[in-house]
Amino acid sequence: MNDEQAYTVIGGRGAMSVFEIYIKTTPERLWEAITSEQLRKRYSFGVGTASEWTEGSEYKASVPGVVDIAGGENLEVDPPRRLVQSFNALWSEDVKREGTSRVTWEIEPVGTSCRLRVTHDQLGEDANNELYGGWPMILSGLKTLLETGEDLDTPGSLRYSGAAG
Amino acid sequence: MDEVFKALADPTRRELLDRLFERDGQTLSALEEPLPMSRFGVMKHLKVLEEAGLVTTRRRGREKLHFLNPVPIRLIHDRWVSKYAEPWASALSELKRDIEGSENSNDEEEER
Repeated sequence: MNDEQAYTVIGGRGAMSVFEIYIKTTPERLWEAITSEQLRKRYSFGVGTASEWTEGSEYKASVPGVVDIAGGENLEVDPPRRLVQSFNALWSEDVKREGTSRVTWEIEPVGTSCRLRVTHDQLGEDANNELYGGWPMILSGLKTLLETGEDLDTPGSLRYSGAAG
Repeated sequence: MDEVFKALADPTRRELLDRLFERDGQTLSALEEPLPMSRFGVMKHLKVLEEAGLVTTRRRGREKLHFLNPVPIRLIHDRWVSKYAEPWASALSELKRDIEGSENSNDEEEER
């Protein structure tokens, strides 16, 4: 198989991953769950994301005083449809070396549900898969939270919850 | 969820997912090349994977690129696997922590 020739590099800027999920909720509730620090904690390994959510503002995902997970800038903020963020992973020395990538959240109403698509791109070639490997668990937890009001408590999904601030 | 299990119940479709896991964002031409099957046959398999949400596509110019969407498999994991595997998983992660902990302390001793 001529793998190298067959592979297409996205926009010439390296690798990209796409994650899609359907959630029975409204765009407004979904937007709130993405941008509320308290709600975010309940499906992102127990880590909240703090920001003013205006274009050009910074965001920081962390358990204050315990661990920094990620940070960057809100490049586009268009509630309740589209959020584009630069993404710097901070949870280990290995991922810090991967530099800045980009995360795009897109919400599209479909019937009485929403399709949420998270695109993580501008990743380097052969990027560390830890950078984007957490998205399926996060989106699964987000769906559980919005559809049932419960927290997903599968192993690892609330790793940092209860960590002292 | 029925659609996901049906989509996974075919060796060609599982192979297509494995290939996208290795190299995400491939064209139909790239995906069909090593398969002993017509272009139309591969398209049909990709359509089943798309309808199950396991493959998602993006256009770039005239090309249609196929991406693996692992989220439906995660949902199956969270619903059907993790609760049964939990006692094992937590025992294994404790074992991992113990091993890594002792390795780290060895490292520190070597450094000293």
